[in-house]
Amino acid sequence: MTKPEAVPFEAALKQLEEIVQRLEKGELSLEDSLKLYEEGIRLSRLCHAKLDEAEGRIEQLLKDARGELVLDADGKPKTAPLTPAGDER
Amino acid sequence: MQQKGLDFGAGPQGPPAVRRALSVAELTDRIQGALEVEFADVWVEGEISNLKFADSGHWYFSLKDAAAQIRAVVWKTAARGIRFRPKDGMKVLARGGVRVYPPRGEYQLSVEALEPLGKGSLQQAFEELKEKLEKEGLFDAKRKRPLPMLPRRVGVVTSPTGAVLRDILRVLRSRYRNLEVLLYPARVQGEGAAAEIVQGIRALGSVAGLDVLIVARGGGSLEDLWAFNEERVARALAASRVPTISAVGHETDFTIADFVADLRAPTPSAAAEQVVKAKADLEAHLGALDKQLHAALSLRLTHVRSRALALTSHRVFEAERGRLRNAAQRVDDLTARAKTGLTRQRERSRDRLRHAQTRLAAFAWQRQLGDRRQALAAHLEALRLRLGASLEARRAALGQNAARLDSLSPLAVLSRGYALAWKGERLLRLASDVAAGDSIRLRLHQGGLSATVTSKENE
Repeated sequence: MTKPEAVPFEAALKQLEEIVQRLEKGELSLEDSLKLYEEGIRLSRLCHAKLDEAEGRIEQLLKDARGELVLDADGKPKTAPLTPAGDER
Repeated sequence: MQQKGLDFGAGPQGPPAVRRALSVAELTDRIQGALEVEFADVWVEGEISNLKFADSGHWYFSLKDAAAQIRAVVWKTAARGIRFRPKDGMKVLARGGVRVYPPRGEYQLSVEALEPLGKGSLQQAFEELKEKLEKEGLFDAKRKRPLPMLPRRVGVVTSPTGAVLRDILRVLRSRYRNLEVLLYPARVQGEGAAAEIVQGIRALGSVAGLDVLIVARGGGSLEDLWAFNEERVARALAASRVPTISAVGHETDFTIADFVADLRAPTPSAAAEQVVKAKADLEAHLGALDKQLHAALSLRLTHVRSRALALTSHRVFEAERGRLRNAAQRVDDLTARAKTGLTRQRERSRDRLRHAQTRLAAFAWQRQLGDRRQALAAHLEALRLRLGASLEARRAALGQNAARLDSLSPLAVLSRGYALAWKGERLLRLASDVAAGDSIRLRLHQGGLSATVTSKENE
């Protein structure tokens, strides 16, 4: 998974919500409003990007003949792409 | 001849020729008579199995105990009076009559009344476990974790074959393309199923970055769904690191897994909907925030603009504005004059044009009509002359032709005193064509004669 930025999605969304609230109060100078607006736009783009990041994959865990999970060198379960019959006809 | 009761053979003293067999219908008819009279109204105790609620409103099932079973039906009208919903495995007391169905040679109990009688063993086990876990607080609302805001990796424990996985993937892939799905293939029914489901929950829970876990199975009987009612599955779900969604059976089926999971989805595809919905909700929320952000700023800008406007209307700017106004007025003035001039010129041109058009029209019509009329008269005259001359010539020619025709006609020749002579059908040209004594016919100019040849002169 590649991340556009280290900020988690939830945090970015929360910041965006706060910015909208502050802007809507209208108590800021024009200068500050514009700065805040720019920051809002940046966060919004970030959120949109995060919504669409990562490529969708469908995989399944591999099991051996005895039904035990197959592990890789690090002891993590191995996976294989899954294409179930009848999917996306 | 004795034929009475069930006599299938000849009597010891009777002749063996007469042997009366029953037809199948007759036999069935007698069985029906015997059974339906003997068991017209009975009470039966048994366990329900193979229960089917037909679309017609009738219920079909078997009543069984350890040694035997009997098919039973509750007709729609009787079903209306039954106040509980029977289930497979339930012990019941049924009241009704035995009915024979001749076309299939079957008999069944037609149930009029039905009462529950304690619980079937599975049902009993289910309720005991449910009570136990409930007491432990495993079903508490405050234990339920919310699904993650934006799930990225979803784990699924279910059978790798069949409609359930296909349904889940269809929903996920069509509405959340970039979601990662990790399947733990597990048996979901029969011996060993519970163990595999538990292993799946644990294995997927150990995968880094997994956000939510779906445990799913399609519809089935209480026995089919049993793995999801086992305590170890319930414990594994309760211990799961990631939030869990249980989607087992149809909407009306409840399993212990449903009570323990953080979220119960009525069907497997509904479970997938839940995951997808999180993203759709977020997209909508984000869209709304975008709009609010723009609206808030443009409101702010409008404020600034109106304040600037208020300031510029101050007296300091009055003189400058006066000059501007004068200039503007001159421009307006000039424009108005130019416009008037143009309009007048256009009016004049239009008048002249209209006049010219009227005259032109009148002139052309009269001249053209006169000319045409004269030409037409001249043509008519010429035509008449030519026609007349031609008619005269034709008439003269016709007279001559008629006269010539006349002179060629045999009748015209006869009029000059000649006669035609026939013997039979033959026109006579030579005297040798006839002998003295022959009868001949003569054709004169007017009328004919029959004559006899008296003598002839050959030339």
